Amino acid sequence: MDIAFLADVFRQLMKGAPLTLELAGTSVALGLVLALILAITLQGGRPVLVWPIRGYVTAFRGTPLLVQIFLIYYGLGQFRSSLQTLGLWGLFREPYWCAILALTLNTAAYGTEIIRGGLQSVPFGQIEAARACGMSRSLVYRRVILPIALRQALPAYGNEIILMIKGTSLTSIVTLLEITGIAQQIISQTYRAVEVFACAGAIYLAMNFIITHLLGALEHRLSAHLRAAPEFESSVAVEGGLH
Amino acid sequence: MFDLVGFGVGGWGAALLKAALTTFALSVAGFLSGAALGALAAFARLSGDRFARGAAFAYSALFRGVPDLLTIYLLYFGGSVGLTVIGGWFGAQGFVGLPAFATGVVALAVISGAYQAEVYRGAFLAIHRGELDAARAYAMSGLTMLRRIVAPQVLRYAIPGLGNVWQLVLKDSALVSVIGLVELMREAQVGAGSTREPFVFFCSAAALYLAIAMITGSLFRHVERRSLRGVRTA
Amino acid sequence: MTEAPTIDRDTGVNGAGRAAVVVQDLHKSYGALEVLKGVSLQARQGDVVSILGSSGSGKSTMLRCLNLLETPDSGVIAIGDETLRFAKNRSGRVALPDRRQVERLRRSTGMVFQSFNLWSHMTILENVIEAPIHVLKRPRAECIAEAEALLAKVGIADRRHHYPAHLSGGQQQRAAIARALAMQPKVLLFDEPTSSLDPELVGEVLRVMRSLAEEGRTMLVVTHEMAFARDVSSHVLFLHQGKVDEEGAPVEVFRNPKSTRLRQFLSTTR
Repeated sequence: MDIAFLADVFRQLMKGAPLTLELAGTSVALGLVLALILAITLQGGRPVLVWPIRGYVTAFRGTPLLVQIFLIYYGLGQFRSSLQTLGLWGLFREPYWCAILALTLNTAAYGTEIIRGGLQSVPFGQIEAARACGMSRSLVYRRVILPIALRQALPAYGNEIILMIKGTSLTSIVTLLEITGIAQQIISQTYRAVEVFACAGAIYLAMNFIITHLLGALEHRLSAHLRAAPEFESSVAVEGGLH
Repeated sequence: MFDLVGFGVGGWGAALLKAALTTFALSVAGFLSGAALGALAAFARLSGDRFARGAAFAYSALFRGVPDLLTIYLLYFGGSVGLTVIGGWFGAQGFVGLPAFATGVVALAVISGAYQAEVYRGAFLAIHRGELDAARAYAMSGLTMLRRIVAPQVLRYAIPGLGNVWQLVLKDSALVSVIGLVELMREAQVGAGSTREPFVFFCSAAALYLAIAMITGSLFRHVERRSLRGVRTA
Repeated sequence: MTEAPTIDRDTGVNGAGRAAVVVQDLHKSYGALEVLKGVSLQARQGDVVSILGSSGSGKSTMLRCLNLLETPDSGVIAIGDETLRFAKNRSGRVALPDRRQVERLRRSTGMVFQSFNLWSHMTILENVIEAPIHVLKRPRAECIAEAEALLAKVGIADRRHHYPAHLSGGQQQRAAIARALAMQPKVLLFDEPTSSLDPELVGEVLRVMRSLAEEGRTMLVVTHEMAFARDVSSHVLFLHQGKVDEEGAPVEVFRNPKSTRLRQFLSTTR
């Protein structure tokens, strides 16, 4: 067991961790906003909006992420002149922004389905009660529908976040030096695949572990209304007794 | 623009379809091998042996938690190192790479096996305890019970989950392109590089993946419907 | 061009006592099924109107038209200062009322639902202060103080930091009543408020409703509780197949029902 080598590999791999987290975090955040907009639009039910959204969701959930990344990274290069006139070429020439776009579109497609499931799980009676109080449509969404829907969607969305972290590894194929990119470099130089896999794997697993626990804590905080009632009476009694 | 992928002279249509067939074969082989691995892991996870349970849990957690691309690198480079050493014993010079198709199948098997283990485990736990008690009460041997009562029901409950894992395997097969296998992804890359029309080729590749996904998806749904014959659902 | 219902500063038809609710000739169909075939009612301020009828008679639909959870096909609804007229336009479709007018109407009515419909992710106190803060835009401290007073009034002040799932059905319904009261509505609408409750919990809710009636609140109650209808209402409406079959003071309606259908109904539900 070559500890020195392992330590060195670990050190090198950790240099890629910020990029991994940045790619995952940015695309999840942007993807969530997009997914919210699309899911709410789908609930509206207007066919002229529903069919394009359904098409997008089907396309991005039914095709490999790698194809999507290549399509944007290499494929958009075919439209270089049009993008140059729009002033966007500088952006889409960079592998970083191509990766962010591809990852965002991918996670937003899955996210739309997850949030749509959450929206449909909101008990209709509670929506009616909100309307009966004179709440406007946006107020009903903001105060009743979204809080309940997002709480319901949290476990599935947490899973999606983990999948996105794994998804960032594909960006190594378009030259980005996140953890897998660096790992692949080290492997092709030293051929010590097992050790590098062990180190890189450990880093990813640690990330997943931390994120899973953070999400679990968030889930716990937001689901007080689903647990058994706390013992209010006994605590009050104790307090009274201490005085 | 899209007649590049047609079937005429200079058209890549045939090449892409042939590569799609490779993708399909790779995915099927990986999925079925993964089924064997997954069943084994599920069995170990449900057994009484603490070591077996721990090993199965570690396998499942590891290969679901680590990016699939890393697993492919591990198997290819790690395996190739071993093969190179063995080749050296037989006088081969230099680096001996593992056969790409076989490595791809093994990688997809290892990855999908980890997910399938969870699916089979969940499906087994969903079987009513009472049915197993009844089987025991009727003096069914363990093997008979497995064959006649457990396996059919596990399969039935597992089908939705297996459908998801299949879609995952199909998409992961694109990653095997990095070790040089000429499946759909690689063929599209070759075509794109050769004709300088990447948008056309990757769109076509996407369309072919989507077609395979939708056809096999509806097949799974059909099997699911048939498996639920006689079962009252919500 | 569709005609939207017009705003009218009408304050009611009946001269004696200010009319709080006026409903004229309400029609409502779901596809081919006509549920309301011309229902009218009037309630003055302080009236408690009980609406009876067998299932399918349209009583819930009529009540839900009053705060526009259902949109009538034709007719007139006047509550407080708002009057809405509904009519089928030339292409046969019903014009939907202006959204802001609907919201204004809903602010002056408070509805209590059969299945309580408390917001499950908020505590009882949060449920009660939610609409006053976000719809009426009243200051938070004021809303909390009033909510606590209302919850004490309906007898569940000690449960105010609990979530709805932790309360019994009777407690949840009383919380829902407090929530409706917090909006200081002109009219209270009760849609079968006790039909989902276990028999032993019905009493506590009816007691609260009775005390509200004694305070002089204007209440429209769809109910199967005959004793409540007889003892607490100022008048009673009996609906049958989308029409008002009989109406009048409770004493007369219950003792000398004129219509045979009402007689049948009373004998089966006594």
